[in-house]
Amino acid sequence: MKDAFRRGLADFLNYRYLHGICVATIALSVFVISAFGLFLMNASDMMASWKRGIRVIAYLEQNTDPVVREDIIAEIRSYEGAGEVTYVAGDEAFDWLRSEIGRQSALLEGLSENPLPDSIEVSLSADIGGGDAISELAERIGAISHVTEVEYARQWLERFSGIYNLFRLTSMVLIGLICAAVMLIVANTIRLILYSRIEEIRITRIIGADDTFIKYPLFMEGAMLGLAGGAAGLLLLYGAYAATVPQLESAGLLVYFQVRFLPWRTALIILSSSMIIGWLGCYLSIRRFLRF
Amino acid sequence: MRFGRNMLFDPEKTIIRLFEVSKHYGETDALVDITFDVRRNEFFFISGPSGAGKSTLMKLLYLGEPMSSGYAIVDGMNLTRIKKKQIPLLRRRLGIIFQDYRLIPGKSVFDNVALVLEAAGVASRREIRDRVMEVLEKVGMADRPDVCPPTLSGGEQQRIAVARAMVGRPSIILADEPTASLDPESAETIFDLLVAAHDEGATIVITTHDRYLLSKGCTGIVYLKNGRCIHSDGVDR
Repeated sequence: MKDAFRRGLADFLNYRYLHGICVATIALSVFVISAFGLFLMNASDMMASWKRGIRVIAYLEQNTDPVVREDIIAEIRSYEGAGEVTYVAGDEAFDWLRSEIGRQSALLEGLSENPLPDSIEVSLSADIGGGDAISELAERIGAISHVTEVEYARQWLERFSGIYNLFRLTSMVLIGLICAAVMLIVANTIRLILYSRIEEIRITRIIGADDTFIKYPLFMEGAMLGLAGGAAGLLLLYGAYAATVPQLESAGLLVYFQVRFLPWRTALIILSSSMIIGWLGCYLSIRRFLRF
Repeated sequence: MRFGRNMLFDPEKTIIRLFEVSKHYGETDALVDITFDVRRNEFFFISGPSGAGKSTLMKLLYLGEPMSSGYAIVDGMNLTRIKKKQIPLLRRRLGIIFQDYRLIPGKSVFDNVALVLEAAGVASRREIRDRVMEVLEKVGMADRPDVCPPTLSGGEQQRIAVARAMVGRPSIILADEPTASLDPESAETIFDLLVAAHDEGATIVITTHDRYLLSKGCTGIVYLKNGRCIHSDGVDR
């Protein structure tokens, strides 16, 4: 194996032009897929932050007994998808409203009594699913006795969920298609390399090499091509990220969320995958070259 | 002279035996009923005009092509019954030289020659280096181990091919028209190298229709024409 690695590395460095073309092909493919993944990841982050802003507000009957109220809060806390559960008394809500509207608070002075009911505000847990899960949670809260009404951004949420689901589905299909295209491109590029070296393989067999002696260094080369291409593609992406994101931030276009680069684990997965693609491309191509 | 398949076969003396070997490409008969023996340490010629089947016969000896029918033994290995995974073992017992050299252009002179030892499983880098340099010394190319074949002349490339054939210390060297592409001086050098390999104990089998080469003398010869053996002769036969 060590010898196969040594010969694979020597050939990898020896055939610079051909391997350069293959590495560039893999690098561009990895760049396209990773850029798409980066966009998907940041878009998901953005959507998740929007989702976190959603609150379900349960209004309680007037003069609900504090013991009953605590029971309701405890029950809501036990529901799947419920995050922080906060009781807001009617008076507290009224004070908050008065302070929020500031100078216009005089408008509220004519009121003979507080029109705002006691309520329980429920934020959503981070792991809650899409719009259906939120609606289900709201329905369960609404079914609790002493809860008169439940409010949440139903219409916005439905639209949001529709867009989010369409986005996810489209992304999955596109990533699948791009991956298939990349596999084909890489396999064919490696096949072209092997075609150009068919005479070398033939000579090596004639001088007494067995299949293992020929195959293993080529597999190593395939994996090295994948690794080099993957690393080059990621570096290219990082370069593009570093060149554009700070400028967008300074131009004030990224105020509401932060764009982050791929985490190192994802980068490692991309590198490993491109290595495997290189190896696989070699494996699929090589069989026909060992038939003579 | 005819040999029977079951005629007394002494592997100590006979290194190649072909009995009624034929090769067909579809309807075309490339070789028909070729029968002859080559003894150990012979200097043997296979001759005949172009298209006689000399190169095809050479390919059958190293199993570059399978036989269509017949019976063949090369250095103790029965080519009729050989398994696919044994073919590399057969080829490691042979040194093969081609008219067009067949060197790997992207590898250095040293690497081209060393590849034989690596393929044979010689693990020690020192042993590989010593043996390669020894054989490059013999063919007069020890001063340029790092150059690539395309930068060398035809004669120099063929010397590298001879070095590659000799480095594995094979029992048989098969040379398919080794001097056909060379000028007379280079041809002389290559022939002398083959004679030297013969003197060291190798059996040499050369295909050629070069009368100057044939005039150098040999211990055995077969003539082919239209894929058939029309004459065979040799010392002590």
